[in-house]
Amino acid sequence: MADKPKIALCWLASCAGCDEAVVDLNDAILQVAEAVDIVLWPIALDFKYDHLESFGDKELALGILHGAVRNSEQEEIAKLMRAKSKLILAFGSCACFGGTVGLANFRTREDIFNWVYRDAPTVVNPEGRFPQPETRVDGKTLTLPEFYDHVYTLDQVIDVDYYLPGCPPPPDLVLNAVNAVASGNLPPKGSTLAPRAALCDTCPRNKTKPERIEITTVKRIHEVEADPETCFLVQGIICLGFATRSGCGETCIGVNTPCRGCFGPVPGVTDAGTKALSALSCLVKGGQYGDPKKLMESIDDPAGYCYRFSQPSSILGRKSRGENV
Amino acid sequence: MEAYVPKLVCFSCDFGWGYVTAHDILAPQIDNWIRVTCSSKVDSAYIFEAFEEGADGVLILGCPEGRCHFEDGNFRTEKKIYLLQKVLEAYGIEGFRLRMILSNNPGGEDIPKRIEEMKKALGKLGPMKRR
Repeated sequence: MADKPKIALCWLASCAGCDEAVVDLNDAILQVAEAVDIVLWPIALDFKYDHLESFGDKELALGILHGAVRNSEQEEIAKLMRAKSKLILAFGSCACFGGTVGLANFRTREDIFNWVYRDAPTVVNPEGRFPQPETRVDGKTLTLPEFYDHVYTLDQVIDVDYYLPGCPPPPDLVLNAVNAVASGNLPPKGSTLAPRAALCDTCPRNKTKPERIEITTVKRIHEVEADPETCFLVQGIICLGFATRSGCGETCIGVNTPCRGCFGPVPGVTDAGTKALSALSCLVKGGQYGDPKKLMESIDDPAGYCYRFSQPSSILGRKSRGENV
Repeated sequence: MEAYVPKLVCFSCDFGWGYVTAHDILAPQIDNWIRVTCSSKVDSAYIFEAFEEGADGVLILGCPEGRCHFEDGNFRTEKKIYLLQKVLEAYGIEGFRLRMILSNNPGGEDIPKRIEEMKKALGKLGPMKRR
């Protein structure tokens, strides 16, 4: 057991869907457990953080972190994992690009607190209490992690070696990543462990796409009964396959749901949202043929749609929090 | 206290703006001026990078209706600007800070004038505040 590479898996600002993705390895998880020694996995195994602290620097072969960084506890864990691990894998869209939790950056911390603890219709808080990092109760001090005013991607907080996007990452790519570490057959540092092509390239509906798409009415998926075989864009439904990396196995497309961009940008692009916005404006019919403003205004919440998984890594949303990042 | 002077980045289409005047004559009169072969060459990322780098506004000068050298590049950009203004507002940046003018001026003498007009309007808004 001592010779097996040690792996730690931990969550930050995450929904635990990424942990579920590891469990979804099914039988293969037994092979993983044979090949590696899992030393921390809070959602599945009963290890504590001080167990992680007891390891020497870089003693772990791989630290897998999923979730974005929103508070001081998450930052502390991320830095501890970085210190103890030879390699850090940003696992899932939240760790790679900020994920859906990153959409919170479109609001201020104050707005969020006011809504969650005061204004939401289900809240009963007559004394107007808000969570504080420190509270004195009966002569004792209770502490909570500090809630930052920004959601950070993992690489804005610590140095990251590899990225595995997806919400959550599919089992085949998870297994490939773990096997690559176990065998030492690794790509250059900073690589994304997923295919390089855009989703449209691998989409089974691609063949139904005409030479030129012209969207005349923008529809949302819940408003129509989408044809299960025709390209969503041809049907006027916004799909982000053209600006998103492939590798997900087209699972959303397979259940008649357009791509929302969880695999992030294709190689060479840092801000997938800008590319999606540019492409969309070309696909929507307008100009001399109609009223472009009216059509473009029919696209609800373009910021939320194009940055659903990537606000904290976008050009206008990114901030750095580490001294050495 | 020094008066606030907004920083503005201007992209202009070479087929509609300033193409009969030598670049050496026009360029010294205009700060942060980027000439492009078509307004549709202005990637959304260029616009966001400009704001990220500290611009208070971005002005895009494209060709008038039906006069795009590449058929509909100006219209594509116009559509993009509507979307980008909404996205900027989500980031807490006034959509007004991004503006497009569809017109033409072969001599280019209007370029500094258009920039000054926009700077004047931006001056009333004050420096850009980011969330």
